[in-house]
Amino acid sequence: MDTQPIIQVESILAVLVFLVPLAFSLVIFLFGRISRVLREGAAFVGIFFTFLISVLIAQRILRGEVLTFWGMNFYVDGLSALMEILGSFVGVIVILYSLSYVVHNPRLGNLPERRLRIYYGLILLFLSMMNLTCATNSIIMLFVSLEATTLATAFLVTFYWNRDSLEAGYKYLLLVTVGVTFALLGLVLLYSASIPYLPRSRVLLLTELGRIASKIPGNIVLLASALIIAGFGTKAGLVPFHAWLPDAHAEAPIPVSALLSGIVIKVGAYALARTITIFSPSFPAVVLFVAVLCSVSMLVGMMMALVQDDIKRMLAYSSISQIAYVVEGLGLGTYLGVYGGLFHLMNHTILKALLFLTAGALMWATGMRKISELASQRRRMPVTAFCFFVGALGISGVPPFNGFLSKFTIFLALAERGLLWAAVIAVITGFLSIACFGRAAYQIFWTAPPDATEANPGVVILEVPPTMWTGMIILAGVSILLGLYPQLVHPVLDRATNIILRLLSGP
Amino acid sequence: MAWVTGDVIITLVVAHLLASIAAAEVRNLKLSNGFLCVQSLLLSAIIASFAVISQNPTLYWWAGTTVLTKAILLPWILYHYMRRLPQVEVKPLVGFAASLIFLLIFLTAFYRFVHTYVDFIAPTTEALVEPARSNLAIAFSIFALGLYVVMARRDAVKIIIGLILLENGVHLSLVTLAPTMPETTVFGITSNVIVAAYLLLYLTEQIYQQFGTMDTLQLSSLKR
Repeated sequence: MDTQPIIQVESILAVLVFLVPLAFSLVIFLFGRISRVLREGAAFVGIFFTFLISVLIAQRILRGEVLTFWGMNFYVDGLSALMEILGSFVGVIVILYSLSYVVHNPRLGNLPERRLRIYYGLILLFLSMMNLTCATNSIIMLFVSLEATTLATAFLVTFYWNRDSLEAGYKYLLLVTVGVTFALLGLVLLYSASIPYLPRSRVLLLTELGRIASKIPGNIVLLASALIIAGFGTKAGLVPFHAWLPDAHAEAPIPVSALLSGIVIKVGAYALARTITIFSPSFPAVVLFVAVLCSVSMLVGMMMALVQDDIKRMLAYSSISQIAYVVEGLGLGTYLGVYGGLFHLMNHTILKALLFLTAGALMWATGMRKISELASQRRRMPVTAFCFFVGALGISGVPPFNGFLSKFTIFLALAERGLLWAAVIAVITGFLSIACFGRAAYQIFWTAPPDATEANPGVVILEVPPTMWTGMIILAGVSILLGLYPQLVHPVLDRATNIILRLLSGP
Repeated sequence: MAWVTGDVIITLVVAHLLASIAAAEVRNLKLSNGFLCVQSLLLSAIIASFAVISQNPTLYWWAGTTVLTKAILLPWILYHYMRRLPQVEVKPLVGFAASLIFLLIFLTAFYRFVHTYVDFIAPTTEALVEPARSNLAIAFSIFALGLYVVMARRDAVKIIIGLILLENGVHLSLVTLAPTMPETTVFGITSNVIVAAYLLLYLTEQIYQQFGTMDTLQLSSLKR
């Protein structure tokens, strides 16, 4: 374990990271109608500033500092910095991609200005609320801001405003809100259980929870853990709380799907890491419960992904399977487990955003989303094909890609904790995902189109514009880089892991 | 205010439960909304009574904001949308009498169960004595009732009422479990449920315009 002392520094960066996107989202809502600069321009500038702020935060964290603000009410440590940097990084790419996909999409026609304003405003509002979730140190504010991320994304899911997207949005909002209310009840139980052991001003603080974790009566911990896992598990999309996820991911516009799968479900995993991981050393039953739930999730999710013909639904079900790896690793509460969980969280964010954006490029160019229909098209889209292969190989855990490294870490961590059966299920799911993504990649890119004769050349579909493929290339590049040089992110992951382990033993 | 005793609170809590059952069971949505308003007023009265008994001034603030947000704002939003939607809820799968009998049996059993095993969930000794004990048992019963409405009903608006009941159950348990919680935090929780209910009602209205129904069972154009 890392023994470097933590220096707590009062810094405004801890709140700027959510105030800046909030301010820009207000600008877009209020003045977005005036010109494109105040809409798309403001969105890009706002998200870019947020990214810069989270990079600054990460630099300070790596120097051994922890940023606080307003007493201990806001507390940004390695784990928060990791989430913030990933969120705003994907945010930058998603906003860039939306310029072509949403604003200049010939298939959508000219959208009314109001819809675009709401779209960009809500994306920034969501990122602001996500950063607030990562920055807050209060048990109940964790729930409030996490629910706010759901509220902010609901109207992004219904962006197309047709029957399917309205249905998906209603399901998403209702199921996640009901689920998260369970988590609230669990958090309230923990809160009330910690009242006798802490001075009144510190009861609400997440960072104090680890110190008293072993003093809270076991039955309360078990009941609260079950409620919290059900609640935040709904947000993360674990089976059997996943009913909203495939519909919402499939019916949202592609950039929003990338955001949902890349970031929104990770907020649930983050909340679980902050609350449940704390109890795993003293309560083996919690570890077992998480392991069983995640094993079921990864198997069911991957099997459902195998039988999908709709590429977006396939990616959505695969997300259920992959988030289960993340939560399983985080739930173990050991160094290797948490490290693997966070590494996979990072990799899945990059890879799933990449895959959704490539699927979006295919849909943008062809107007189709069925794998079987895409197979029969003549295309000349080398960048999209390359990016899809990188994403598919990465996410199915083929060495030397980054997905392999994080999955392998989780296998090792499971075996180390004595959960061999869970490790076996995780490995089997890994093979299933190779089959799933291999099938998709083969059908889409390697089957010869049936009518490719000289007499009937047909229409050759060309590559998407640079605003779309730039983001894809960046994500693919990062993915390859992390696979070859994982030591690049080791300091951040090591810091974040140690932060969680330090919380376990009390500050 | 010496007349505020444990018995008064227990009476209020039981009335609160009856109002919740009425809000859940009445088929006319406007009437159901009315019962929801009464339920929230009783919730506020319970919080105020606890404030008197435990000499805790924060709870007066809770009671005041509860009246404003849950007894006035939320029913007003519901009423605003109900005027444009059908007045009677979509016929549920379980009939009126069957549902009522089931609820009475289930809630009584659940209440007895929680009341007996309160020490399993309540960490402090104050929560083990009356009226806190009954209050906590009723809070969990209302949570279960809300969950039942969300899962068993087909009408989109009724499901939203179920969601509000669910959250009111948590709110009632807060009074016993975490009376020292700052008012701002409680306000955060309450405003969340109001925004969620508002957005859901907005979507319901849009769905009604496009699908011509509020029956959630017919919202199945997406395959599983």
